[in-house]
Amino acid sequence: MKRFVLLFLSVLLLAGFTFSVTTIEFWHAMESDKVPLIQNMIQDFEALNPDIKVKLQYTGSYPETLNKLVAAVQTGNAPHIVQIYEIGTRLMIDSGVIVPVQDLLDQDKSYDVAVLLEPILNYYTVEGKLYSMPFNSSTCLLYYNKTLFEQAGLDPNRPPQTYEEVIEYCRILTKKDAKGQTLQYGLTWPTHSWVIEQLMAAADAPFVNNNNGRTGRATEAVFNNEAGLKIFELFDQLNKEGLILNTAREDWSASDENFISGKAAMLFTSTSDVRIFEEALTKNGYTLGTAFLPVPDASVSGGPVIGGASLWLIAGHPDSETKAAWEFMKFVTQEEQQILWHKGTGYFPTRKDAVKRLHYERFYAENPNYFTSLLQLLLAKKDYNTAGAIMGVFQQARDTIETAYERMAAGKMTPAEALAWAEKEVTKLIKEYNSIYQH
Amino acid sequence: MKWGKYTPYLLLIPTFLIIILFIYWPAINSFLLSFYKTSLFGQKKIFVGLQNYLNLFHSESFLEAFKVTLIYICATVVSVIFLGYLVAVLLDNKVVGVKIYRTLIFVPYAISFTIGGALWLFMLNPVAGHVNYFLSRIIGKNINWVIEIPYALISVIIAGIWKMLPYSIIFYLAGLQSISEEVIESAIIDGSNAWQRIWKIKFPMLSPITFYLVIMNIIDAMFESFGIIDIMTRGGPFGSTTTLTYKLYQDAFFFYKTNLAAAESVILFLIMSLITFLYFKFGEKTVSYQ
Repeated sequence: MKRFVLLFLSVLLLAGFTFSVTTIEFWHAMESDKVPLIQNMIQDFEALNPDIKVKLQYTGSYPETLNKLVAAVQTGNAPHIVQIYEIGTRLMIDSGVIVPVQDLLDQDKSYDVAVLLEPILNYYTVEGKLYSMPFNSSTCLLYYNKTLFEQAGLDPNRPPQTYEEVIEYCRILTKKDAKGQTLQYGLTWPTHSWVIEQLMAAADAPFVNNNNGRTGRATEAVFNNEAGLKIFELFDQLNKEGLILNTAREDWSASDENFISGKAAMLFTSTSDVRIFEEALTKNGYTLGTAFLPVPDASVSGGPVIGGASLWLIAGHPDSETKAAWEFMKFVTQEEQQILWHKGTGYFPTRKDAVKRLHYERFYAENPNYFTSLLQLLLAKKDYNTAGAIMGVFQQARDTIETAYERMAAGKMTPAEALAWAEKEVTKLIKEYNSIYQH
Repeated sequence: MKWGKYTPYLLLIPTFLIIILFIYWPAINSFLLSFYKTSLFGQKKIFVGLQNYLNLFHSESFLEAFKVTLIYICATVVSVIFLGYLVAVLLDNKVVGVKIYRTLIFVPYAISFTIGGALWLFMLNPVAGHVNYFLSRIIGKNINWVIEIPYALISVIIAGIWKMLPYSIIFYLAGLQSISEEVIESAIIDGSNAWQRIWKIKFPMLSPITFYLVIMNIIDAMFESFGIIDIMTRGGPFGSTTTLTYKLYQDAFFFYKTNLAAAESVILFLIMSLITFLYFKFGEKTVSYQ
């Protein structure tokens, strides 16, 4: 009899247990080797929180994920957490379908957001409010091939620091054969406006008005300034002298390939590729070097802008589910998880204690290239220029800037004309976007 | 049986349900959307009348896309028709292993546009591609195929032709094989040469096929070219390969301008209707059905 009661009780307990499980949905846009890392995070989380189940769903690229979110919200099937790219921030704030992370932070005294790195928080904080939880963060970095530097007679431990030096180095690193074909270029890049935005911030210049759209809705583009012109002139010079290898627009893998194969000696791309380049260059018999973004001259010092994506809470779910989602968000940014994430991907660890522990474990001493990317972020000036611009039409603004760049590279526009044209067009786009939200 | 009268309609219901749900309903919706301005998640909706259309016709990039589409369609359709016919004539010969050639030549049709685009991108790679390897051997010059004007457009046109050609070949081949030997024999007796037989006798006899292929290829070039362009150039450099379909996709799914994209889709619909209408009106007169 006793045994029966016990059995009955344990069945009851188990039943109660299974019934109280809260399931939350998490949509993400990460690919290939990043997926198992996220799956491990979820496993660890579920082991610690047996009453919460996380359903992971890959929803395609960043824009595809946002489109799917729009459709899901309209049909009432929205997930609890969704990973949205950084340039979707203004769109999400305006969407009216989200719960700002700040709301939960204010209620939850157990979590002090100051444990996260300030530059990363700055990106996702708009008008004093943290809207989403930083997840995968990276910036732009100048990668260079130390072996090719040595071959060209350059000091492999002295990467270029100013635009002038970039041009000078590129001249030395570019090699042509007897027929005039270029065998090796000085520099390559994914032909992406993102790099131009990063260089703008490194030159401590704003991109849009109202403090990069952070103290009020941006109403105009302002990148047609001195810093912008210098960046365009730099690229113009590099193109005219045939020192730079452009790719098709926004083709990250093409520029990676150019750099890995030694076709180009330097590369502007994301810090999240450190691990890939270390492995690939070693395989090709090269040594990888990393450097801060160059600045117009040594007296200027801004810093890179955070790129990547963050986690957004979608409104309209029962409180218990939103709470569970919040627990998951906090878990993702924990020390242990961030260390695994950082080592596995090259994205920044978002927490200070994770950085400390990595340092104590001599991770940065043994991986100087990871250290460069982190140091660049930490040494950056903290102002609105380096916090990065926020606007609702970022995707098309980028397209416009890339068009301006391509027109300049083709010799159809001078740097000044290209920049002025792009600024005018982006302002038009911003005004068009704003008109519906101010109606 | 009273039922008899209604049975056809009853049987049509499932089809109509699907058509209404997946074709008419979205079509009507995008038509309506084109008169509004909505926020991304749809909470705000303002009626703006024809403003979206006016914006389009004042937009430099839309007119440019119009031009690119026209060039792309003319270049691909004309090449596909003539090359397709010529290759079909060659394949109509009785040579050893002709079945193998036919199969091989039909392969591109079985490959999706996207994969075709990826293959061409690989071959046109400025550094490691086959095309540039041979070019530099022959003329000692490298061309940055997909990133330079006008080569980018040429690249996608070539890839498009390569992809669409087998479809025409198959149709022409079937047509050629159905032409009776007697016609050709009498033509030979009348003293026509091979060239005359190809263009003056066989080609006009296949005019219904040409008629069909022109329409189908225009539709293909207009809509299916998307995969190739998306993979190879993403509409660049500076919009020189952005066709109307690609622009529609960009506006809707990248720039989050649903209403503008809806207006574009309505315009595309009107253009297609017009082409089909004109073609049936004037084209049919020149076609001889046997």
